[in-house]
Amino acid sequence: MSDPTGIVENAIDVRALTRTFREVTAVDDVTMTIPRGEVFGLVGPDGAGKSTLIRMLATVLAPTSGEALVFGHSVVSDPHAVKPRIGYMSQAFSLYGDLTVQENLDFFAELRGVPRRDMAARSERLLEFSGLTEFRKRQAQFLSGGMKQKLALAATLISEPDLLFLDEPTTGVDPVSRREFWRIISGLHRQGITVFVATPYMDEADRCDEIAFMTQGRIILRDTPAGMKQRVPGRVIEVAVDDYHEAMPVLRALPCVSSLEISGEMLRVLVAKDAGQCESTLRDALASAGFAVHHVTPSATDLEMAFATLIPAARGAADTSDEDILAVAE
Amino acid sequence: MLPILFVMPIVQLLLFGYVVGADVRNLNLAVLDSDNTAQSHQVVDAFTSTGYFTVSARPDTDARLKDAMDGGQAVIAITIPKGLGDSVRQKRAAQIGIIIDGSDSRTSQVAAGYAQGIISSLNRDFYSGGAPPGASPGGVNAQVRVLYNPTLRAVNSMVPALLAFILLMSTSSVMSQAIVKEREKGTLEQLFVTPIGRTDYLLGKLIPYIGIAVIQVAVTFVVGVLWFQVPFNGSLLVMGSGLMLFMLSALGIGMIVSLLSRTRQQSQQTSMFLQMPQMMLSGFIFPIAAFPTWLYYLTFLIPLRYILVIVRSNFMKGSSFAALWPQFLAMGVFSIAIFLFGLSRFRKRLAD
Amino acid sequence: MRRILAIARKEFLHIIRDKRLLIVILVMPLLQLFLYAYALSFDVKQLPTATLDLDHTTTSRQYLDALQQSSYFKVDNVLTAYSQTDSAFESNTDKVVVVVSAGFGSDIAAGRAGNIQILVDGSDANSAQLGSAYAGALSRVFGANVAVSQIEQKGGSASSAGGLSAAVRTWYNPEGVSAAYFVPGLIVVLVTMITVLQTANTLVKEKEAGTYEQLIVSPISRIELMVGKIAPWAGIGALEIIIIALIGILAFGIPFRGSVLIFTLSSVLYVICTLGMGLIVSARATTVDSANQLAALIGFLPTFMLSGFVFPLSSMPVALQFFSYLFPARYFMVITRTVFLKGGSLAILWPQIAALALFATVIVVLAASLYRERA
Repeated sequence: MSDPTGIVENAIDVRALTRTFREVTAVDDVTMTIPRGEVFGLVGPDGAGKSTLIRMLATVLAPTSGEALVFGHSVVSDPHAVKPRIGYMSQAFSLYGDLTVQENLDFFAELRGVPRRDMAARSERLLEFSGLTEFRKRQAQFLSGGMKQKLALAATLISEPDLLFLDEPTTGVDPVSRREFWRIISGLHRQGITVFVATPYMDEADRCDEIAFMTQGRIILRDTPAGMKQRVPGRVIEVAVDDYHEAMPVLRALPCVSSLEISGEMLRVLVAKDAGQCESTLRDALASAGFAVHHVTPSATDLEMAFATLIPAARGAADTSDEDILAVAE
Repeated sequence: MLPILFVMPIVQLLLFGYVVGADVRNLNLAVLDSDNTAQSHQVVDAFTSTGYFTVSARPDTDARLKDAMDGGQAVIAITIPKGLGDSVRQKRAAQIGIIIDGSDSRTSQVAAGYAQGIISSLNRDFYSGGAPPGASPGGVNAQVRVLYNPTLRAVNSMVPALLAFILLMSTSSVMSQAIVKEREKGTLEQLFVTPIGRTDYLLGKLIPYIGIAVIQVAVTFVVGVLWFQVPFNGSLLVMGSGLMLFMLSALGIGMIVSLLSRTRQQSQQTSMFLQMPQMMLSGFIFPIAAFPTWLYYLTFLIPLRYILVIVRSNFMKGSSFAALWPQFLAMGVFSIAIFLFGLSRFRKRLAD
Repeated sequence: MRRILAIARKEFLHIIRDKRLLIVILVMPLLQLFLYAYALSFDVKQLPTATLDLDHTTTSRQYLDALQQSSYFKVDNVLTAYSQTDSAFESNTDKVVVVVSAGFGSDIAAGRAGNIQILVDGSDANSAQLGSAYAGALSRVFGANVAVSQIEQKGGSASSAGGLSAAVRTWYNPEGVSAAYFVPGLIVVLVTMITVLQTANTLVKEKEAGTYEQLIVSPISRIELMVGKIAPWAGIGALEIIIIALIGILAFGIPFRGSVLIFTLSSVLYVICTLGMGLIVSARATTVDSANQLAALIGFLPTFMLSGFVFPLSSMPVALQFFSYLFPARYFMVITRTVFLKGGSLAILWPQIAALALFATVIVVLAASLYRERA
């Protein structure tokens, strides 16, 4: 089923996609659409089904039931029309360790039909981009973790795909490399390339156009990062206190406190939105319990908090109600 | 993986038992009968009735005969000259030509032997009644008695040999694979971090494979005795102790192979290339007595050679420790030497 | 086409960079070649033999001398009583005991048949079979000579006496050089051992490493992938065949009487078959271990056993003979033996070549269809 005009509105169109492995349902009846040119982030705990979903969309894994269209082509019945337009980077390093950086790039370029006259220029640019130029003759197995990931990304980019699937691409990569990596992705975004990325890092999710929370095979929530944060019921107050571990039960006991979490050496406390005086309540409670309080200040809601609070709530709702309640961003 | 480990010995047993154990028979025979008399037909019948030969071609010219041999349709040919029937009737001397395909020297030797035997008995049949004047029906009557294996079934000596061979293949190749796999995956490093002693590690690695090998040998033994009906005249004690001792050498070889290989592919390839000479040169299939001198002495270094003697002798003849002590001694020395060598190198490598 | 070349080039790099494997593949077959070509023969010469002379006449000594002279028996033990035969066998000192019965000499002199007993150790069936055949043959010859001399003593002429004799000629290998028989067969076996294992590993390694998925995502067709993976190994396999053939011809003086073209064509076809078999294993196996085991099971064993390499096919049970038709090795074995030792033209060998071509196609197509494009 190809689109005669060649331009499709949605990059990805998923309909009731399901995948089971024996008794385990890894992806459960997922339906959604991803518009072109978007950087879409998939966030969820381990075992949520993110990898499985990505692999089905990338034509690596066959769905048990349902359908998915990538640029209008079905991954089920027409995967060969999909493959030339996508790039896929899996969680584990999946390039050839005993081939050099250059050889790996050349191989994938040839394999994916990059025109010969463009090959040299593209691989130069990509190596430059990823900071790998001086390593081009080194065998891939001797690269550091961050370099390997950048190489893998370069290999998927060499064929200039319209859609990139990235499965936790920065796991195990140092923060500097991570930032560089996302710089590259932003660049791609500007070129109009659609990016579908699964990530466990909230700061990366923050940089996406839209994100979805996935758990137990289902898409629970979907919104822009800003939208997600706004959905969090309450506001956040940051508390810096000594012996924060022992301070936690004290704070939890307070009525205006919904939940709290540790962030570095601070506590981030979620309080009800209308609890105006909560700051002072907190300060007093801590002081009277004998804790040395350094500051109690309001803070912006972040995705960590959204993740921590929204998912359990939505999971609870999803278990007992039907699909209409599953929020899909409008 | 596990099912393969148990299917393999049985497949090998069946293959070896039926193939190697097959006695030479049904050889393709080409017959060029230029005589076409009752006597010449009798000759042909004499060949086919033994079961050793089946007529696969009846060329009518020498050229066609050559084609038949060239094309491999026959491994042996008899040419019956015109006038044979007359000669026999008149009690004159007569000659039959036998052509054997020398490119298969084993088969051709045996075929030639059968053929000559048949001709001898034909000789008696044709000429016994009414000997020519002055001739005597003398000669030598050689009676052959086969001991311990009266039917001379090759499979009877193959099954016991297979026990040893399966043990060799299983222990050395499977084990070296397992060790190399850990090196490949890097889990070997993990183990170094844990407080496990090197000996404990080795024992832990060896024991399951020893267990598997023992089961495989037992399975082969039972299936071999029951399916192929190989008579067992020996003692489990003698065979068992021999096989255990032999296993040490197999383990040693496995360890040495694992030291030489970085990947499982390498270790499997190396194992294969080490097993083949052992199979070929240990007396498993080819009789050692026929080797050139230098090679004959080389075979003394192969542990499989000794265990084969032990197993075959005990299985079929009931030879005891007393009769087999030279083999036990030699094998013991080699096995322990190889095992210790492999072990020491292995531990040294672990220590690095 | 470009994709095929890309895969082939990549495989080639993998091969080059695995030095240990290269050494094993290139060196070991040659070692084996030298070893076996010198060693192997089925002729059982120098069988350890014991003799027991219960007659003690000139004739009996003549007989035993003839036995000693023949290169087939190595008389290293002279027994003095029948009871000793058991221990001779039990201790594995001898494989054959030849017993000359009392009265042998007088029987022969009187024109009767003399009696000999040949005891063979059946526990080594090979030696036993051949040993008894030789002893029997020797006795016949001895008996015939005796008969002739007796006739001549009585004044008759041997040639006027009747009797059927056989004139034996050996074709293709008159000297009975076993190397000639084995080397062509060895080519088949050694090359099979190498090729099947490699391609068996190639796809599985990619599965284990995770690069398999990258191949899935690329627009490469299954056939292209198979052909690309086979190509470098086909080259190496063909090279091995040529090297072994050359060594056989130059070092062992084995004749090459056939057509180089036929040989080359069949070699290429056969190598494609074995590589394809490896790929079939590789397409389905999930771990390298099981791939290796399966490769050995499918590749090595049947080639060794069912191709006619050592064990004549005609002697096997019919079921196994049918089974042997399924393995390409059988056909290539016929071709190599014929090409080296007999000559053979296309007219004679076309069935085998056709069979190889058929197998090559079927196997590669099968491998391609078994290869799962996605998990």
